[in-house]
Amino acid sequence: MKPMIEIKDLHKSYGNVEVLKGIDLTVRQGEVVVIIGPSGSGKSTALRCINRLEEISSGCIKVDGFDLYAEDTDINYVRTEAGMVFQQFNLFPHLSVLQNVTIGPVKVRKMPRQEAEILGQKLLEKVGLPDKAHAYPEQLSGGQKQRVAIARSLAMQPKVILFDEPTSALDPELVGEVLDVMKRLAAEGMTMVVVTHEMAFAKEVADRVIFIDQGRIQEENIPSEFFDNPSNPRLREFLGKVAH
Amino acid sequence: MARAIPMPFFMHRHADATHSPGRTTRGFMAFQFKPEVMLDTAPLLWDGIELTIIITVLGLVFGFIIGTLVGLGRISRNRLCNAVAVSYVEAIRGTPLIVQVMFLYFGLPLVLGIRIPPVTAGVVAIAVNSGAYIAEIVRGSIQSINTGQMEAGRSIGLTHLQTMLYIIWPQAFKRMIPPLGNQFIISLKDTSLLVVIGVGELTRQGQEIIAVNFRAFEVWLTVAIMYLCMTLTLSQVLRMYERKLNARTSR
Repeated sequence: MKPMIEIKDLHKSYGNVEVLKGIDLTVRQGEVVVIIGPSGSGKSTALRCINRLEEISSGCIKVDGFDLYAEDTDINYVRTEAGMVFQQFNLFPHLSVLQNVTIGPVKVRKMPRQEAEILGQKLLEKVGLPDKAHAYPEQLSGGQKQRVAIARSLAMQPKVILFDEPTSALDPELVGEVLDVMKRLAAEGMTMVVVTHEMAFAKEVADRVIFIDQGRIQEENIPSEFFDNPSNPRLREFLGKVAH
Repeated sequence: MARAIPMPFFMHRHADATHSPGRTTRGFMAFQFKPEVMLDTAPLLWDGIELTIIITVLGLVFGFIIGTLVGLGRISRNRLCNAVAVSYVEAIRGTPLIVQVMFLYFGLPLVLGIRIPPVTAGVVAIAVNSGAYIAEIVRGSIQSINTGQMEAGRSIGLTHLQTMLYIIWPQAFKRMIPPLGNQFIISLKDTSLLVVIGVGELTRQGQEIIAVNFRAFEVWLTVAIMYLCMTLTLSQVLRMYERKLNARTSR
């Protein structure tokens, strides 16, 4: 499989604080990579760099062969290749659910509105919310909001979707519905990079699990080995804490 | 023969404290409230009201355009834009409107060599003055929108400008309405200061009527009521508009 995301020697500093100290990661097409790690480890920052929501200090990130930080790269185009799902959903509160989903295709892809609405309705069905098209975000539960956010990013038909702690802001009973949608996407062959604390999801869905701590990738393995046979002492400690 | 000069009521009381109650009452009676004067005055104020409204509306339309541009300049990363916007806001906010008006009308023509008609000067003064305050309202409202909204817009491929236009501005605009309403009311009342350059707006017209009939109490009271009617109407309209906007996003 061809590489979808290639990260080489990624460094990122905020002032004098170096958050990422050299990350190397390749994600192949159709692969689901789950990133775990303690808070403040830099895992969300690394993910946000893949959509250029952060400026990097040095290194190279390619998405589908496009160098994200090269000067001649059309960043708006590359961003449509990588969808992003945020912890805080970030739905557009002044737009209806359907408008949230269709604004990308209509404004960026210049798709006729009717066509976009048909696509939007199809995607809302896919995330299990066909009857919420004309509702507004504030009328939805957290889980429903996050599913709309997934539909919104799918509407751009991205080649990869980045999930930044998609279930961390949800009430426990709403986590399942979002993970179910993500599992379905994974099964359909979507390339996904997921920063999460849901270990069960990582075990079940991930092709590869990555442990980031102190700005570096400390361990990288298939889930069974990663969880049952962790070699890195920090990871062992982390998994020990999470298990309780 | 001589017209009784109405003295403030507390002075009468003080002066007459040792005298008989009868005199107190007589001194008090020197002023007679004549409500019919108010009814006669009201129609005479119509032209002034019209001019006040015209200056306010024009001033605020331009003020809003200036305010939006300057407010955007305030949040722009361009250093020059930022410096110009900050200087403008500070200069206008930091000086009295009446000084700005007189500078514009009496001062600037000496340099420019052209005389600005008073009404034009009035509109410019209100626009430039309200623009500075509106700039701060625009800046504050845009900055109050969660940065996640910009990120979400950019993540689906919208450009910075598109995200501003379709995502940030509509949300920020909703938050601008209450402080804008406040500014609109302030600017409407500020037009009364244009009296110093002889603009025939409501206050000026009140003054002119008093110069003829000497009924300061009735005329100023009428003028005040006229201002109140305009500001109450304005805040009522804004409240309705706000309700309409809210209804649209939460059915």
